[in-house]
Amino acid sequence: MFDGLIAFGHSIGNFLTPTTLAYALASTLVGLVIGALPGLTATMGVALMTTLTLKLPPNDAILILICTYIGAIYGGSRSAILLNIPGTPASAASCLDGYALARQGLAGRAMGIATSGSVIGTWIGMICLAFFTPVLGEMALKFGAYEFFWLAVFGVVISGNLTGTDPLKGWIAGFLGLFIAAIGQEGMYAYDRFTFGVHDLSGGISLIPALVGAFGFAEVLTVMSEPVRKFTINAFDTVIPRIRDVLQYWRTVIRSGLIGTFMGIVPGVGEDVAAWSSYAAARRASKEKEKFGKGSVEGLMAAETGDNACVPGAVIPVLTLAVPGSAPAAVLLAAMLIHGVRPGPLIMIENPGFVYDVVAMMLIASFGILFYGLTLTKLLVKILMVPRVLIMPVIFVLCCVGAYAIAGRLFDVYVMLGFGVVGFLLRKLNYPMAPLVLGIVLGDILDKNLRRGLTLSDGDLTPFIIRPISAVMLAAILFTILMSIPICREMLSAALAPLRRLLSRNTQ
Amino acid sequence: MAQPDMVPAAIESETKVSPRSDFRSGLGWTALGLAIVYGSWTMDRLAHLNVSPYTVPGLVPGVLGVCIAFMGAILTFRAISQGALKATPRGGINFAEHARLYVSLAFCLMFGLVLMGHGLPFWLAAALYISGFVALFQWPERQEKGQNLRGLLVAIGFGLIVGLVIHYVFEDLFLVRMP
Repeated sequence: MFDGLIAFGHSIGNFLTPTTLAYALASTLVGLVIGALPGLTATMGVALMTTLTLKLPPNDAILILICTYIGAIYGGSRSAILLNIPGTPASAASCLDGYALARQGLAGRAMGIATSGSVIGTWIGMICLAFFTPVLGEMALKFGAYEFFWLAVFGVVISGNLTGTDPLKGWIAGFLGLFIAAIGQEGMYAYDRFTFGVHDLSGGISLIPALVGAFGFAEVLTVMSEPVRKFTINAFDTVIPRIRDVLQYWRTVIRSGLIGTFMGIVPGVGEDVAAWSSYAAARRASKEKEKFGKGSVEGLMAAETGDNACVPGAVIPVLTLAVPGSAPAAVLLAAMLIHGVRPGPLIMIENPGFVYDVVAMMLIASFGILFYGLTLTKLLVKILMVPRVLIMPVIFVLCCVGAYAIAGRLFDVYVMLGFGVVGFLLRKLNYPMAPLVLGIVLGDILDKNLRRGLTLSDGDLTPFIIRPISAVMLAAILFTILMSIPICREMLSAALAPLRRLLSRNTQ
Repeated sequence: MAQPDMVPAAIESETKVSPRSDFRSGLGWTALGLAIVYGSWTMDRLAHLNVSPYTVPGLVPGVLGVCIAFMGAILTFRAISQGALKATPRGGINFAEHARLYVSLAFCLMFGLVLMGHGLPFWLAAALYISGFVALFQWPERQEKGQNLRGLLVAIGFGLIVGLVIHYVFEDLFLVRMP
C-alpha cells in the first residue's frame, strides 16, 4: 500500500517538469479538439499521436497518448451539448440531457457538469487502476495457455455482443479480426500464412495502419458521404462546475464511476457502452426518472462520469494481460510495445513503477481537462464552426503519414486505405469496428495458446474445460452466446419468472 | 433518438440494413470462411520437420474459417427468414446521391496511391491534394457567391500552408520520417 503511494509520488515528481507539463497540456488540447469535432474519434487521435511521438522517450510518449485519449473522450461532450451531435460515440448518451439543458439556456451549466463528471470519473477509474492492477496482475500470473486461449475468445465474444445492435455481426467482425491477425509469418515455425507470395505481408498486418484506416479514413468517408447539416449553437451561461451538482448526486457519480471502470476492464467494450450503462443505471435508481432525456443534471453527470472512468478501466487489462479494454486502448497497447514497454502479467514484477507512472499520467490529464473545461469554451465553439471540407482532407493526409511513419513503408499506407474502404462498407452494413480491432490484437494470443495448450495436453481438450478459470470463462462465453438467441432468452426468462414473482411478493 | 435504457441500440449511428444486404453479406462471409478452410487444409503441415498435428500452421486459421463460414450461414438463413428473397422493387445505385462519397474516395485514393511516395516532395503532394479537395467541394458555394477565383486562391493557400506545416511538425520538430 505505502510502497504504491511512494511509487506514485515519485511518478508525479518525475512528471512535474515544464516540458512534460507542456506536452500534457498540448496533447490534452489536441485530444479535446479531436473529440469535439464530430466524425473524429479518440482511437484515431491516439493512433495519429502515436506516429508523432515515435522518437520521444517512452514516458513522454505514453503521457501524450493518455492525455489525448482522456481529452478526446471529454471533448466529445462539447459537441453533444452544443450541437446535439456526439463528438465521439462515447458522448452519444450526453446528447440526451446535455442538449436539452443547452436548449433551456443552460449550456454553460451542462458543460460544467460534463467537466466535473469527467474529472471525477477519471479519478475514480484512476484509483481503481492503482488498486486493481497489482491484484489483477497477480491473478494473471495464474493464467496458462488454456486460460489465455479462452480470454481471447471471451474478449471477441463479449465485445461483439456489446458494441453493436446485432451480436452475430459483432462476432463475425471479431472472428475476421482474429483471422487477419493470422496473416503473415506465424510465431512457432515462421511459416508464411495467406501471404500469396507478397513479401510485405510476411510481417503481418500492422495494428496501427489497420486502426488508422478503420477509424480514420473510414470516418473521413463517412463524414463526406453525409449531407451537410446546418446547426445553431445555443447561448451559454457560466461553465464553472458547481460543487452542489456533484454533492447532490454523489451516489450517481460513484456508481457511474465504478460501472464505467468495470466496463473499461471488460475487453473491447469501451467508453460508449460505459456511458450508456451508467446512464441506464442512474435512470433506474433515480428519484427524478421523468427528467431523464429532458435536461436531467443527474443523467448528464452519469454519462460523463461513466465514459471518462472507462479510460483508466480500459488500461487495467492492457497493463495486466496485454488485452485492450477499448479501441483507443488497443492503440495505447501497440504504442507501449513500440516504445519497449512490455505490458502483461509480469509488469508488476519487471516494471512496477510504470503502473504508477500511468496513474500519474491519468491525474495530470484530468487536471488538463479541468483547465480546458474552464477556459476553452469560446475557442472550441469557433473550431466547431470550421467547415468539414477543410478538416477532412487534412485528417486524411495525417492518416497517410500515421500509417507510413511507423515502419517507413508505403505498404502500410495501402493497408490503411484497404481497411478504410472495408471499414466504411462494414459500418454501412452495421458491423461494429471494436471487435474487429480486438480480434487483430488477440489473434496472436489465441493462435499461440491454442496450439501450445493442445501440445501440452497432447490433443486432450479436457484441460480447456475443467481448469477453474477456463471453466468460468467458457461458462461466460456460452452464457453470452445463448442469451443472444431469442428462444434461449425467452426460456430463461420463463424459468426465472417464479423466482421474480417470489422476490416481488417479498418486497411488497 | 435511441432508448436510453437499451444500451446497445445507441452505441453507433446505426442505419437500417435490408435483409437483402444481410443475405448478400452472409453469403460473402460463408464463401470467405470456406475459402479460409480450404487454404488452411491445403497449407503445408511441415511433416518434414516432424511437427505435431496440434501445432500445424493451418490449424487456427482453419478453425476460424469454420466459425466465419458457420456465422455467415446463420446470417444468410436469418436474412432469408426476414424476407431477403421476396421480390421487392429494387432501386439502383443513385450516383448523384453518393457523388460526394465517390469524389472523396477518388481524391483520397489518388493521394494515397499516386501522389504520395512516388517522387513528389510530401509537402507538395499534400498541398496538391488538399487544394484540389477544398476547391472542388467549395466550388458550388463559391460559384453561387461569384467568388470562383477567390475560392481557388484560398484553397491553394490553405493546401500549401497545411502541407508545409505537417511536413515541418513531423519531420523537423518530431523527427518522424516522411514519405
